[in-house]
Amino acid sequence: MRQQYARRTQALTSVMGFIALAIIVQMTRIQNSPEAAIFRQQASNYAYELRTFYPDRGEIYDRNGHLLAGNKSVYEIGVDLNIVKDPNAIAAAVSVELGKDYSQVLDSIQNPPEGISYIVLSDFVDVQQAVRLQELKKTLEKQAAEGVRGGLFGLEFKSHPQRSYPENSLGSNIIGFVSREGRGYFGIEEKYDTLLAGNPVQTLVPTDPNKAFEIPRVLNGTTLVLTVNRDLQSSAEKILDEALTTYGADNGTIVVMDPRNGELLAMAVTPRMDLNEFWNYGTIYNNATEFNPAISMPYEPGSVTKILTMAAALDSGTVTPDTTYLDTGSILVGGANIQNWDQAPWGLQDMTGCLQHSLNVCMATLSTKMGAGNFYSYMDNFGLGHLTGVDMAGEAAGRLKLPGDADWYPVDLGTNAFGQGVSATPIQIMMAASSIANHGRTVTPHALYAMVRDGRQYDVPAQFAGSPITQQTADMLSGMLAVSLESEGSLALVPGYRIAGKTGTAQIPVDGFYDSTQTNASFIGWGPVDDPQFMIYVWLERPSASIWGSETAAPVFGQMAEKTIVLLDIPPDNIRQQIVAK
Amino acid sequence: MHAYKIAPWRVQRQWIGNALLAVVALAMVATLYLDVTSQAAIAGREIQDLTASISASQQVSGDLQTQLASLTSARVMEERALAIGFRPMETGEAEYLVVPGYSVLEPDILSSVPLLQLSALTIPPEYNESLLDWVDKKIATSARGTQ
Repeated sequence: MRQQYARRTQALTSVMGFIALAIIVQMTRIQNSPEAAIFRQQASNYAYELRTFYPDRGEIYDRNGHLLAGNKSVYEIGVDLNIVKDPNAIAAAVSVELGKDYSQVLDSIQNPPEGISYIVLSDFVDVQQAVRLQELKKTLEKQAAEGVRGGLFGLEFKSHPQRSYPENSLGSNIIGFVSREGRGYFGIEEKYDTLLAGNPVQTLVPTDPNKAFEIPRVLNGTTLVLTVNRDLQSSAEKILDEALTTYGADNGTIVVMDPRNGELLAMAVTPRMDLNEFWNYGTIYNNATEFNPAISMPYEPGSVTKILTMAAALDSGTVTPDTTYLDTGSILVGGANIQNWDQAPWGLQDMTGCLQHSLNVCMATLSTKMGAGNFYSYMDNFGLGHLTGVDMAGEAAGRLKLPGDADWYPVDLGTNAFGQGVSATPIQIMMAASSIANHGRTVTPHALYAMVRDGRQYDVPAQFAGSPITQQTADMLSGMLAVSLESEGSLALVPGYRIAGKTGTAQIPVDGFYDSTQTNASFIGWGPVDDPQFMIYVWLERPSASIWGSETAAPVFGQMAEKTIVLLDIPPDNIRQQIVAK
Repeated sequence: MHAYKIAPWRVQRQWIGNALLAVVALAMVATLYLDVTSQAAIAGREIQDLTASISASQQVSGDLQTQLASLTSARVMEERALAIGFRPMETGEAEYLVVPGYSVLEPDILSSVPLLQLSALTIPPEYNESLLDWVDKKIATSARGTQ
């Protein structure tokens, strides 16, 4: 009995073992069959999906944290051709909501290119439009059972960021814009494009949740904080726009800079463009230099250059403020007769009188006394003919002809001294003049205050760009310029604040000759003189109300200086001196 | 030995028992493995979902930030200020008081040497240190205290 039981057990074990072996064999066979390879291949097709991760472009803020450039969501709307049920319904919905051509959409769905399973119907679609379309899709899907005509099956929505400028045209020349391809043009957007953009990453993302750690972490672009003060920028643009109307100027520029560290506080130009509609660029501007004339449009600045000539003459010891000379109304330089702006003699003048009356003959006398080598060495050290290095794209260097250049003539030594025959941008003149306002030390103008990335902030330090003149010369000249403005009762003056500055009226060369009816009116000034906290440059192109800088650019400077004083909270000189005394 | 000789099925029963034990052990390991794997898969799926919702939230945050900036733009704020009766201040209208001991913040001084100024966000250690870090810190603190 027991043996019989043992045999049965053995038989049962054998059968069970055989079945187990058969199962294992069958499993091995299936795993290694050709069909298994096909299934594995099919599975691997779904194991990863190719996705593009777009890092958010870094934002741009003003110095007080106001957003100047941010990102908003827009949608790419496309069709997954594998699950489309009713192309007509999709074409109808898309044509109604997005204004697309019905037959064109229908054709692209019904006759896609070979091997394509997804087509894009529209990109950069506004959120509101996309949401309406999504709601329509949901409604139709609820109403119609799957497969029934009328559903928008296959219509896909993919959101991605797009650049947005909440202030529209405010500071457009500083900020620049970003194209739909994500490339920055002009200003900060172009200069810091690689920093702001981050890099879009196209990668295979595992659908297997066990490989979730393989999902790439895409770092967003660097956020930038500018030195610009939004409210000051807004005021500058408003004052500039009003000035163009008041004085009938073609275009204009107002730049406000802190002369102590080169921080650009405002830079208003005309024309400006709404950065959210960057495609209008071609209709607003004729060429790239017009986008930001403050840095990219060199012009003959005229008499504002006289402060540099005087600085050079004082610093080289050629003259002192008390040096006198007899103005006869003309001087012969290089065989050419140079005259004053009014072709009149001004008699005995000291150096403050030269500046106050803006005497060309005086300046030509100074430059010829200094000699070409000395004069041009100073002009070179002031940065004329060189890029300032301002951190905005599209800067132009201007031109300072030097002895030895093919187009330099001896008369240029005389004319260059009062700003003729030399071209410079407003930012170049400001950088050069910063050495006078800033006690002999030149600053590099810049618009970037700080960078923020991954929770860390890097403050951009101010850059020192040389000392073309001594502190004594700078302070002496600032005082002379303040006296000259006060003596003539300039319209640039602000009650309660001591201001130093100089007007400029430069005739515009037309067909090789200077046209006395067309001028560039300029004014450069800074204050308070004993502790300069702002430097302002005003340039009005072809003012028709008056050709003179003293009657057009100077009052605009005065207005801008008043606004700057209020917005930067600068107390009047007497209060400030009380504070310093304590 | 004698008992095994007169009852050999006892040996077989032992073998079967051992085999069953192995099967049960294997089944337990398999169950445990299945449980851990499924939990890992669920966690992975949650990570995927959370990653997607982080992206979505960031996008929504960006949208809202831009909307807010539009609603508080310089032009809009000025219009609103004027509409409720404010007007721009003139230079002579400001009254300044000298407050003893108060010093005005000075801007960055000019420097010829660029200085790197990094300021990391400070997160309290309670939020990012592990239990081991905490124990390690406590031991180090107490060791310093006894020195």
